[in-house]
Amino acid sequence: MGKGRYLLKRLLYIIFVFFIISILMFFIYKLMPGDPVEIMLGDSKLNMKPDAYQALYDRTAEMLGVNRSLVEQYFIWIGNMLTGNFGYSTQYKQQVAQVIGTPMRNTVMLNMLAMVVVFVISIPLGIATAVRKNTAFDKTVQVVTIIGYSLPSFIIALLMIFVFAVKIPIFPISGVRSPGFSGTGIEMALDTLWHMALPVIVMSISGIGGITRYVRAAMIDVLRMDYIKTARAKGLREKVVVYVHAFRNALIPVVTIATGWVVGLFGGSIVIESVFLWPGLGKMLIDGLLQRDFAVVLTMQMFYVVLSLAGNVIMDIAYTIVDPRVRLEN
Amino acid sequence: MPNENQNGRKVLLDIKGVKQYFPVKKTKFREKQRYVRANDGIDLEIYEGETLGLVGESGCGKSTFGRTILQLYPQTHGDIIYYKDGKPIDLKKQSAEEMRVLRKDLQLIFQDPYSSLNPRMTVGQIIGEGLTSHGIFKKGDPAMKEYIFQIMEECGLATYMFNRYPHQFSGGQRQRIGIARSLALRPKFVVCDEAVSALDVSIQSQILNLLSDLREKAGLTYLFITHDLSVVKYISDRIGVMYLGNMVELAPAEELFANTLHPYTEALLSAIPTTEEDSGRERILLEGDIPSPVNPPSGCKFHTRCRYCQEKCKQEVPEWHDVGGGHYLACHFPLDKKKG
Repeated sequence: MGKGRYLLKRLLYIIFVFFIISILMFFIYKLMPGDPVEIMLGDSKLNMKPDAYQALYDRTAEMLGVNRSLVEQYFIWIGNMLTGNFGYSTQYKQQVAQVIGTPMRNTVMLNMLAMVVVFVISIPLGIATAVRKNTAFDKTVQVVTIIGYSLPSFIIALLMIFVFAVKIPIFPISGVRSPGFSGTGIEMALDTLWHMALPVIVMSISGIGGITRYVRAAMIDVLRMDYIKTARAKGLREKVVVYVHAFRNALIPVVTIATGWVVGLFGGSIVIESVFLWPGLGKMLIDGLLQRDFAVVLTMQMFYVVLSLAGNVIMDIAYTIVDPRVRLEN
Repeated sequence: MPNENQNGRKVLLDIKGVKQYFPVKKTKFREKQRYVRANDGIDLEIYEGETLGLVGESGCGKSTFGRTILQLYPQTHGDIIYYKDGKPIDLKKQSAEEMRVLRKDLQLIFQDPYSSLNPRMTVGQIIGEGLTSHGIFKKGDPAMKEYIFQIMEECGLATYMFNRYPHQFSGGQRQRIGIARSLALRPKFVVCDEAVSALDVSIQSQILNLLSDLREKAGLTYLFITHDLSVVKYISDRIGVMYLGNMVELAPAEELFANTLHPYTEALLSAIPTTEEDSGRERILLEGDIPSPVNPPSGCKFHTRCRYCQEKCKQEVPEWHDVGGGHYLACHFPLDKKKG
């Protein structure tokens, strides 16, 4: 079976899973207590005449489509969802598509940067510790990484704020941009980057801890193999042995972990976004839940679903690239 | 020639008092560091063009010895002199880069054809990598492909296998890839570490014949490590017997079988299965397990399991000496004396 057919099959499977999850999500959210119409109208109930309020209520309900049958509502919702109409946010009184753009950009920006930092540091560090196994250097890194890995991110966040914003105030502690900032595009980018420093440092510390340890463990396993001795016996340079022979073989477990971790990044940043008041998706999800803004929450949930399904396919494809023994079958 | 010994044989490798200790992980903080004595003082001369068989039970340090000669482990003690075109080179004193260059001459065939080939590389890459690394060919040289094809054919591999990955081959084919890989560098000395043990008998004989053919064609010297005595008898010029990190007997193949002197060798030889129903041979069973190489027995290490053991064996370490005709031995009471 060719690659194309496999991918097609995989795609069909993903679409199927997507619909199943969307049905589950939709009905679970409908089961939650709270009347979205009332929440949307808010205080108007208190300062309007009952008749006028009832008329407003009916109009709003009609607009939100909540007085139709649940099955009908689902089909309307999923139809809108697929055509890019994510619904109306009762909280922001705006289309979700308009509300969600900026936070998504903020989150993706933050996570991408954190991801790059994590991989750039942890992969060479993991390899270096595996090669120098049981030396003082390795043991130090082991201790440091397990601390970074096991401390909850909000503690690291508070520590970093204490060090880099209180003791040595070099980084801002919240927001995306300095208040009242104006300047050219490059200056603006630099200002944003400066604001990203603390959240990125915090996110990287926990990520580096985990990934370094995975890379080290995978490399140690591989370095023990006979084919590494073969490579040395061939008379290859040690660099070639470590980076070409060993690392390529250590990539499989690393790819698995890294993909899962990248997908988790988008949802996992709720805590960090709250601590640093970073207007991203995580903060938006929490606000949406608290305000029972179903359109926003459902849209975001579906975003995570798509993300993890896509992550799985990417992982499969990545396997075939790093390992010739893996073929895309069944 | 400086590398000629008193018998007029050309020595390729002169191994003197080689020890290879591996540290044992400490369980208590103040514990004294202990070592696995995998090789505990081995003296050996390997002659040019010969096949030296090395036998012994599992865990006696045969493989370690082979790898130590090739400096895949940094040796704890002793000297290994390699005579490159008659010039002595002390392998221990070579820098990593000098040793890397010398690896062209000193090659290894691994026991396990499954784990010793990198699963991410094609056969062509596996064989070709060493060639470019030693500058025999430049990367992308079309002549290299020709050369690899030639080597593959010599080793009984079809050329269409060039672009395949190791997992697409059977055990026998993979072992041939391993052999092709090491022989592509045109080495002088090859350590065959249980090179045929993982294969079934029909393929074993094919590979053994292949190795003998290649030896004649290319003037190779083999150190043939195995626990299979019928294999070693078939292929070797001389046979060395190891027990618990030491060489206990070394003799030309015929001599070792005809005139066995060490009780351990006697026990090993009696364990070779025969097809004759009643060969009248006494089967000598060694009692107990092989003692721990961390804490080996005093005196002669074999005394705990030797049926001729005397008081002297428990106290004194027997000396490694020549009993004549290139027959070396480390035993206080060689067998023929007892018989006589």
